Amino acid sequence: MLYDIRLNLRYDYDAAAGGGRHQVRVLPPTISGVQRVIAASLSFAPAPSERSDFSDFFGNNVTSIAFRDAHDALDIRMSARVAVSRPEPGLDVSPDIRRLREELDAVRSLSPGSPHHFLAASDHAGIDAAITAYARGSAGSSAVSTAVDLCNRVHRDFTYDGEATTVQTRASDAFDLRRGVCQDFSHIMIAGLRGLGIPAGYVSGFLRTIPPRGKPRLEGADAMHAWVKVWCGRDTGWQEFDPTNGMRASNDHITVGHGRDYSDVAPIVGVLKTTGGQVGEQAVDVIPVVLEKA
Amino acid sequence: MAKGNHRKIRGRPHNLLEHYQPIDGVVDEMVDASGNPRPVWKDFIEALEELGPEKLAQRFARADQYLRDAGVYYRVYDKAGANEREWPLAHVPLLIEEQEWAAISAGLVQRAELFEETIADIYGPNRLVEKGILPAGLIAASPEYLRPVVGTRPASGHFLHFCAFELGRGPDGRWWVLGDRTQAPSGAGFALENRVATTRALSDIYGEMHVHRLAGFFRRFRDALNGMAKVSGGRVAILTPGPLNETYYEHAYIARYLGIMLLEGEDLTVSGGRLMVRTVSGLMPVSVLWRRLDAAFADPLELRPESQIGTPGLVEAIRRGAVSAVNALGSGLMETRAMSAFLPKISRELRNEELLLPSVATWWCGRDTDRDHVLANLDHMVIGPALSTRLAFEDDDCTRLGSALVAGERAELIAQIERGGGDFVGQEAVTLSTTPVYVGGWLEPRPASLRVYLARTPEGWTVMPGGFARVGFSLDPTAIAMQRGGQAADVWVVSDRPVERETLLPQEHDSFTRTLPGSLPSRAAENLTWLGRYIERSEDTVRILRAYHVRLAEASDPDMPLLADIRDYLEPFGIDVATAIPPGLIGTLDSAVYSAGQIRDRFSPDGWLALKDLSKTIHQFATTVAPGDDATRAMTVILRKLAGFSGLLHENMYRFTGWRFLEIGRRLERGIQIARTLARLTRAAAPDGALDMMLEIGDSVMTHRRQYPVQAGRRTVIDLLVLDPLNPRSILFQLERLKAEIALLPAVGEGHMSPAAKEILQLNTAIAIKEPSDMTAKALDDLATEIGGLYNSLAKAYFG
Repeated sequence: MLYDIRLNLRYDYDAAAGGGRHQVRVLPPTISGVQRVIAASLSFAPAPSERSDFSDFFGNNVTSIAFRDAHDALDIRMSARVAVSRPEPGLDVSPDIRRLREELDAVRSLSPGSPHHFLAASDHAGIDAAITAYARGSAGSSAVSTAVDLCNRVHRDFTYDGEATTVQTRASDAFDLRRGVCQDFSHIMIAGLRGLGIPAGYVSGFLRTIPPRGKPRLEGADAMHAWVKVWCGRDTGWQEFDPTNGMRASNDHITVGHGRDYSDVAPIVGVLKTTGGQVGEQAVDVIPVVLEKA
Repeated sequence: MAKGNHRKIRGRPHNLLEHYQPIDGVVDEMVDASGNPRPVWKDFIEALEELGPEKLAQRFARADQYLRDAGVYYRVYDKAGANEREWPLAHVPLLIEEQEWAAISAGLVQRAELFEETIADIYGPNRLVEKGILPAGLIAASPEYLRPVVGTRPASGHFLHFCAFELGRGPDGRWWVLGDRTQAPSGAGFALENRVATTRALSDIYGEMHVHRLAGFFRRFRDALNGMAKVSGGRVAILTPGPLNETYYEHAYIARYLGIMLLEGEDLTVSGGRLMVRTVSGLMPVSVLWRRLDAAFADPLELRPESQIGTPGLVEAIRRGAVSAVNALGSGLMETRAMSAFLPKISRELRNEELLLPSVATWWCGRDTDRDHVLANLDHMVIGPALSTRLAFEDDDCTRLGSALVAGERAELIAQIERGGGDFVGQEAVTLSTTPVYVGGWLEPRPASLRVYLARTPEGWTVMPGGFARVGFSLDPTAIAMQRGGQAADVWVVSDRPVERETLLPQEHDSFTRTLPGSLPSRAAENLTWLGRYIERSEDTVRILRAYHVRLAEASDPDMPLLADIRDYLEPFGIDVATAIPPGLIGTLDSAVYSAGQIRDRFSPDGWLALKDLSKTIHQFATTVAPGDDATRAMTVILRKLAGFSGLLHENMYRFTGWRFLEIGRRLERGIQIARTLARLTRAAAPDGALDMMLEIGDSVMTHRRQYPVQAGRRTVIDLLVLDPLNPRSILFQLERLKAEIALLPAVGEGHMSPAAKEILQLNTAIAIKEPSDMTAKALDDLATEIGGLYNSLAKAYFG
């Protein structure tokens, strides 16, 4: 699938911010076997006094910007054309949890894709006795079947609620609430898998939403999305699941970043010199592109 | 010391060893297995005995007095919150013979080299993980494994520049490494203070024995830091978490001792990829950062986002090679307790060497064989968190002695280890050797550990010949942690030949140029200005209060108009005259102490003690002093102490930019206070006696009597307190001083004069040509506001 993606982040500050520094992670990367970025651009208003681009540990695109002068709003626009083509999931040959641990021990690597980074507790997805107990109900004969079952259960047992949680909410709190948004669903699934000894990470990105039959697609109605990647052993490797929708990541899922949890891939982090509060807005458009036949 | 005096130790009139009973099966540093003093201790004990108990007590009191006078403290966190506590010096040093020290040094240098190579591998090619020598899962789980700096080679070429190691001597007489400090080791400054204090007490003995000096170590490290900075053309700075840190005293002390700028995270900013310090002369590059804060807090953008003490962008500057951190961010990984389990193999792999000084035997329960060994030998083990970076004996919250577990705990711990072995390490339970402390006239043995410091120089690692020993108050070997009330002893490395004497003073052949102090950080300038303002504000308030209480004591009517007027005048400033020592006044002085506390590296110990004494006095007065006569006397005492503090600063502070801001703060505040008080007490409707009182507040009664052959009238009072350029209390005098000092501040922006310089010039000229009759109450109030406005211009130009 080919998409044109537009993202607009806007922050309005109560009191003029006297300079500041941010890191922005919104540019999708090309990922072999998943997606190819054909064109991408990122712009800021007001224009920052400094800007530099680099790749972080997990390979995410980072744009670092700094403002010297006071400003009372920040407007970020990203647009990209991305072609997504994920392989169909094959036959489940993934090991059970005991064998998974042996295969994990045999992975002698700290490269960014190494499963070792994704097993220990992290800030938002700590290992939690209650979540582990919940996840144990999904422990099956293979890593993949365990992930599939947990993904479906989280989708079924938790209520989507945009008001219940914030970006700071941790897995254990969302779990107690039994509600949240894609970020919370993902953190709960990650925490559960880690509790079982299965490495799991956080994927941020975009999702094409398909409008109800007969209704037009509403522009800018979408938001950024998040789902989960699971290490399913030496041969099967990383598989991606979307617990918010109870499905595997498909060609409708466009990846922006990978990390241990939300804090590794937050679209914007930053430190501002301001005394007042700030209000943020987010608008996302994911538009399938139909190329005219030549 | 009486040389050649061969009296026997036993049977002396005061035998210090009479009650000395080492524990069975434990090595004692002072006496051998048969109870005889080891050679290096023999002369030392004789010399102590010669002094006798009275003199010894006096001598040790002298050491304690030194530490109090120097204001040496560390911060303890307990249930009551954070408290400053005096440094607990154990007066008897631990003596170590030179040859033994050479062996310790060699072992630690080898260890430091090994650590350097290990960190470089973990953050670089990762061969140790690839070969299965280090488990990837252990590194990946450690909070000290900092992914944002993976792949970054330090600009200096090295990760480690300053390390400390905690050693203990086991029952077999060998030294073992109990813990490694590679993050931001503390205590080197305390070691130096320990030495100074101990030699205050035992200067003659110290002089006679050939004890290695410490100063050379610090000089070599300072030169190394300066050398690193020279290459990249920036400055060296020490980065502290701030005055609330437990060892802030030491950060300020080292900064002062070595002449290095002491900064907090907010002093720094990153601009154009370089790390800069905000100074009153603008942004200045910093290229070497000796950090005393944990790496995770160094940059809220890429490390812990909740950190309030970091510098956004620091990690980026480090990745670009614009600054060297001492030690490199991520070096704290080597402190991880489980790491000790892998060191012997790493040493063989990387250096083809056995460890000269091994760690306490350690097993990481994430490996099945290790876990089985730990479970089978639980009674001889200390069990703790694998990823902890705390020293085992300091970590009693989570570290358990296997043999001390009761049945239920034991079963629970075993279950935990079987469930998640990777979270635990087992370490052989060690018994520390004992060293003598002086208790009630006798020496008694106490368990001790030894902390040793290493610094990197262009010639390689240099070892501080000494360090400090942590000594227990009881025989419990876990009770040596400072946070739990252990004590610290100096460590003397004793040679049988005279030792080289080194000082920090330049040698004769060194070239000599006088250099002005480096740029003043903006935050320090701001704190100095406020210190000046708060001190002056306290003084002005105290003068008014004294004038008030003198009259109150004599007045038949406490509501007489003048007293009521003063009461109403002070009330909006938060000063309630009904209380002899108003909380508002105490608050002002507390603020002065706070401002001074932010910049302790810029203070002499004398200045700091004078201020603390002032603060103690006023807090005491608050509970004892009554209004009237009593308060008058109290105010006089406070005024005298304020004058003492001001005098210390005025006479002793180097007259450069720092002093200038302090002076500007004072003059600003005095100008404002005099103008305001004058506006009140010289207004047309002012009550009887107001002019005399004004002269008293302005400390100008005698001058007035001499200058003017008439009774105090409005005109003469204004003339003396506003327009007389020779009266140090007049407003014009303050403006002249402000004009002179502001003109000497560093230039800002373009143009010949800064806005503040223009403002003060205009103000000064405007007042200089005034006549007393021009200075109405309104004109005086406006003047106070204008002087206050000067502060804003200065703040904008220099403190931003």
